[in-house]
Amino acid sequence: MSLPQFQLLFAQTTQEAVELLTKYAGKIRVLAGGTDLIPSMQQKLFEPDYVLDIRRIAEIGGIRELPGSGVEIGALTTLTMIEHSEVLRRRYPVLTEAAATVASPLLRNMGTMGGNICLDTRCLWYNQSLTWRQACGFCIKKDGDLCHVAPGGTKCWAAFSADTPAALLCLNAELEIVGPSGARRVPISDFYTGLGDNYRRLQANELLTRVFLPEASADYRGVYRKLRIRGSIDYPLAGVAVAVKRSNGRCADARVAITAVNPAPVMVKGAREALVGEVIDEALAERIGDLAAKTAKPLTTSALTPEYRREMIRVFTKRSVLAAAQS
Amino acid sequence: MPNDFSIIGKPMAMVDAAEKTTGGGKYADDLSLPGMLVGKILHSPYPHARIKRMDTSRAEKLNGVVAVATGQDAPNPYGILPVGHDEHALAVDKVRYVGDNVACVAAIDEATAEKALRLMEVDYEVLPAYFDPEESMKAQADLIHDNKPNNLEKDYHHVFGDPEKGFAEADHIAEGRFIANEVTHAAMEPHSTLAAFDIDSQSGKPARLTVWSSTQVPYYLQHKLSLVLDMPMAQIRVIKPLVGGGFGGKSEVIPLEIISAITARKARRPVKITYTREEVFWAHRGRPRTIIDLKTGITNQGHITAVKARVIQDGGAYCSYGVVTILYSGALLGALYDIAHIQYDGYRVLTNKPACGAMRGHGTVNVRFAFESQLDELAAKIGMDAVEVRRRNLLKPPTITVNGLRVQSYGLPECIEKVAEASGWKARKGHLPRGRGLGLACSHYVSGAANSIIRSDMPHSTVNIKIDRDGGVVVYTGAAEIGQGSDTMTAQIAAEVLGCSLGRVKIFAADTDLTPIDIGSYSSRVTFMAGNATLRAAQEVKKQIASAAARKMNCSPEDLVFRDDSVRKRDAHLETAVLGGASQPGSGASVAGRVEGQILRGSLQQKRKDEAPKDSMSFEEAVVAAIDFHGALSGTGSYAPPLEARGGKHKGAGVGPSPAYSYSAQAAEVSVDEETGEVAVHKVWAAHDCGRALNPVSVEGQIIGSVWMGMGQALSEEMVWKDGMLMNPGLLEYRSPSSVESPEVEPIIVESVDPEGPFGAKECSEGSLAATIPAIANAIYDAVGIRLHESPFTPERVLAALRTKKAQKKINLTEGIDPTAPAGFREHGGALWFRGKGPKRHPLDPSRREVHEAARGDD
Ligand SMILES: Cc1cc2nc3c(=O)[nH]c(=O)nc-3n(C[C@H](O)[C@H](O)[C@H](O)COP(=O)(O)OP(=O)(O)OC[C@H]3O[C@@H](n4cnc5c(N)ncnc54)[C@H](O)[C@@H]3O)c2cc1C
Repeated sequence: MSLPQFQLLFAQTTQEAVELLTKYAGKIRVLAGGTDLIPSMQQKLFEPDYVLDIRRIAEIGGIRELPGSGVEIGALTTLTMIEHSEVLRRRYPVLTEAAATVASPLLRNMGTMGGNICLDTRCLWYNQSLTWRQACGFCIKKDGDLCHVAPGGTKCWAAFSADTPAALLCLNAELEIVGPSGARRVPISDFYTGLGDNYRRLQANELLTRVFLPEASADYRGVYRKLRIRGSIDYPLAGVAVAVKRSNGRCADARVAITAVNPAPVMVKGAREALVGEVIDEALAERIGDLAAKTAKPLTTSALTPEYRREMIRVFTKRSVLAAAQS
Repeated sequence: MPNDFSIIGKPMAMVDAAEKTTGGGKYADDLSLPGMLVGKILHSPYPHARIKRMDTSRAEKLNGVVAVATGQDAPNPYGILPVGHDEHALAVDKVRYVGDNVACVAAIDEATAEKALRLMEVDYEVLPAYFDPEESMKAQADLIHDNKPNNLEKDYHHVFGDPEKGFAEADHIAEGRFIANEVTHAAMEPHSTLAAFDIDSQSGKPARLTVWSSTQVPYYLQHKLSLVLDMPMAQIRVIKPLVGGGFGGKSEVIPLEIISAITARKARRPVKITYTREEVFWAHRGRPRTIIDLKTGITNQGHITAVKARVIQDGGAYCSYGVVTILYSGALLGALYDIAHIQYDGYRVLTNKPACGAMRGHGTVNVRFAFESQLDELAAKIGMDAVEVRRRNLLKPPTITVNGLRVQSYGLPECIEKVAEASGWKARKGHLPRGRGLGLACSHYVSGAANSIIRSDMPHSTVNIKIDRDGGVVVYTGAAEIGQGSDTMTAQIAAEVLGCSLGRVKIFAADTDLTPIDIGSYSSRVTFMAGNATLRAAQEVKKQIASAAARKMNCSPEDLVFRDDSVRKRDAHLETAVLGGASQPGSGASVAGRVEGQILRGSLQQKRKDEAPKDSMSFEEAVVAAIDFHGALSGTGSYAPPLEARGGKHKGAGVGPSPAYSYSAQAAEVSVDEETGEVAVHKVWAAHDCGRALNPVSVEGQIIGSVWMGMGQALSEEMVWKDGMLMNPGLLEYRSPSSVESPEVEPIIVESVDPEGPFGAKECSEGSLAATIPAIANAIYDAVGIRLHESPFTPERVLAALRTKKAQKKINLTEGIDPTAPAGFREHGGALWFRGKGPKRHPLDPSRREVHEAARGDD
């Protein structure tokens, strides 16, 4: 499969990048690690006229401690760097755990934090070659007008299948987004729309530049558990992130988020309320598992049956909550 | 001193290891020729349709497109089996699966060719399609092939002994349905072919054809090319470059191999086609989804009294090797254990999916999964240990089984004892912690088929050896090195026989202009057959050298020993054997220098110098002596299986017989997570009887690879279909195991030394695979008490079975398609995918697409 023809552009600064994005809005795509963009372009899911390589923008790489106010992660930071960052491992362990499960070591060397957050949603009917999609009459997310997953529906259900955003949700992370009119900061929970096709709130002329992990979320015990068939390479078929703060044997604060079972990563509703002030035991963990299973809406976008994936959200949530409480 | 070999039996690196590991080696896709074009194939979007109209003109007009080939350019049908000539390289009137080949564009680069594909206009009349074999067998109209009523490719009904009597003698009978879902080879190298015609200097027309292709069967390819292109075989040369794995996926002629030649002829320029991974999945020829209704009887003493199997194989849209596959499935019920009564009903069914074919363990794997699982069920019923029940059903070779298979060497008993010992079976089985278990299973496989698929008396392998004055041993063999080590094996055998160092041997392989016919690398035949041919060719040249050397040494040729790059009188050999002169290619430098001098001075002088008889000569001296006498030395050896090994007389008796069988026993240790259904394989002990291990490290590699591939089929690999669409045509969604979940494998080599194998060698690369799947299934049973009837044992299938067993809240996956499967269970990839209406298929209305093209931009 060949890549579509495009012109490759480079930006040295965020400002330059935004200018190019504005100039070619609608005809340009951002390339970070390229681990998702390149295969998708080969499948002709995107055929942009321009590709903007942002890897030369030095200002948005790396991990920086901001004394007293948390940690800043540049969008170009690779997942390998996150996985091995001492400060993240110590203070925001749920994120390093999640990053370490992404794809395979080689892909983590290439893949970036920004790319993982911006990752396109996935579906068995969508992530296929042009020939394949043509054979099934295309789908609502690309070139067609029907959904094979929920026939008759007009909504796209493609599953958001990145690992780290579930962890970032648990950490109340904020994203810095730069556009023509400057930088804005949004909580990561506001970044996703919940739609399979138009999945993120990012204008065509905007760039994701940084992720902020607030000081208030530091030092939580964190656990990320991922359902996959193989021990490496596979995207999550279900993912659960849990962050718990304890005080005197009780849960002082807690957040639970799930990924890969909805068109967006989502916080588990009611989990925090159920956990705070309690001693976490098996029964409570199981209740959180039930809440998570209720939040999950797995469909046949991915391998394994939806019923099973929902069931695993329940089991993995229970286990993660217990592990976070006991670690 | 039978074990006193100097080359074989010692672990050594493959002769092509360096070029492969340094990146210097050339695979088909690495090749290019001046003026070469890239070919891209247009595939059918429908599972079953008639082509009403095709307009290639828009594609042809695109700048950079040189030719567009269609079925009309080469309408002759072909197929790997003489009874199965049902394929067209490019569709002539009908397409029969999503991905079937419609036309091919040759253009100056890949992007242009792909763009041209989008400009092809084809009108189809969509026909009803068949996806489920049991449904397909009921078809009355819209047959996939007009000459195959009920979409039945072939059925066989065999009765050996008296099964009714056998079942009457049984104390216990088990009956069940097993399903093994479809898997494919997933070789690392995607298929690739480069085809080029010489232009005839007189007429200016395309003349001789040369094809470089990733094939396991160069000779068959040459033959089918001749058939389809209407050219004499003598005008066609097939060259096999390095091949990155076959596993059966390259063991027949694959459409691109013919399409590239058709297109090259039309374009009058060389054309290379390399499949995308998706196209590899469509070309397929993998292991069919198999439904096995199995019934086995056993006595309280553990003797198997009778077996009855009804097997349905979902063969896909073309015959391929199907007739052979369905026969292997029945024939290989025999020759592992001593079973007096066997009934077999096999159905090979056509469906509108890519053709299944031969895959590692061809025909035997799925039935073996069912049999070894059911044998464990029966053992449990009579309260007998899994090892013991297998011990009680051993063959007593030499023997001929009830279905006509001749068994001579039989290392199964030793395999069973060795794995039982290595795995600590006695002490550990049944005593592992909760959720952890041990399972055992056995398997076997042919060392090549005793009857070739082309009915002919020609030898299955022929090897030529040439030795000239430089003392280099040049071996010409048609055997196809595909990564399994056939070149290494050939070099080892030649060097062992001639007593020369390995570095002296040069292999020319798999080039139909240069090398004698070998029918190819499949059914684990190469070591046994091409190995025997090499042995015989080497013996022939050795005889010539020996008689010349004997003259020089004033002794009889029988008194000479060839070893360590020298020829010695037997007594002289004893001395150096003690010294142990391991001779490496470089270590004979001084000898070589002297000989070179002699060659320059000419043979007369040398003769004078060597007048006095001596006790030993260097290999070069002996060769030169022989050449002075004969001229350049050459020897030919060939191999045809003996008549006694060719099987019985019943219809279909030709498939199953082999000159020798390999045997395997395996123990697997697994743990099962009872809450998630996830299975982890911790360790597999795999004993394999390969006759003699010519290169032990290579044998171990094959055993480990087989176990790994078997584990993939057992746990995660499955082609998932929805209404004829393959949902996972890539290595991300088709899940071959990664290194993370791969278990430790302890290979145990058992050497039964076969009387007819080259130095006693048999096969070692397929037989082990079949044992792995039931060994894991049996281990899961031991761990958590569930009997899995359907592979792969994905976590959802395991969990569903666990929930059913515990009568816990049912996991409402789907309802059962398999009556013996746990209730309340429908799998993601199984038969229910085939039902339902599926996607509404849009006719590929161009106006529709244009609307979306205009709207595109923000995806
Ligand atoms: C075999 C395979 C397995 C995988 N498994 C997993 C997995 O298990 N879990 C998982 O989470 N991911 C997985 N991935 C996806 C991918 O590797 C990772 O998500 C990775 O982090 C993506 O980052 P990237 O820098 O490579 O993104 P790119 O491919 O460069 O970009 C991805 C998308 O984000 C946009 N983008 C990137 N950076 C920015 C930015 N700064 N501002 C605005 N837009 C931006 C791009 O335009 C593009 O649309 C897998 C990929 C492959 C090929």
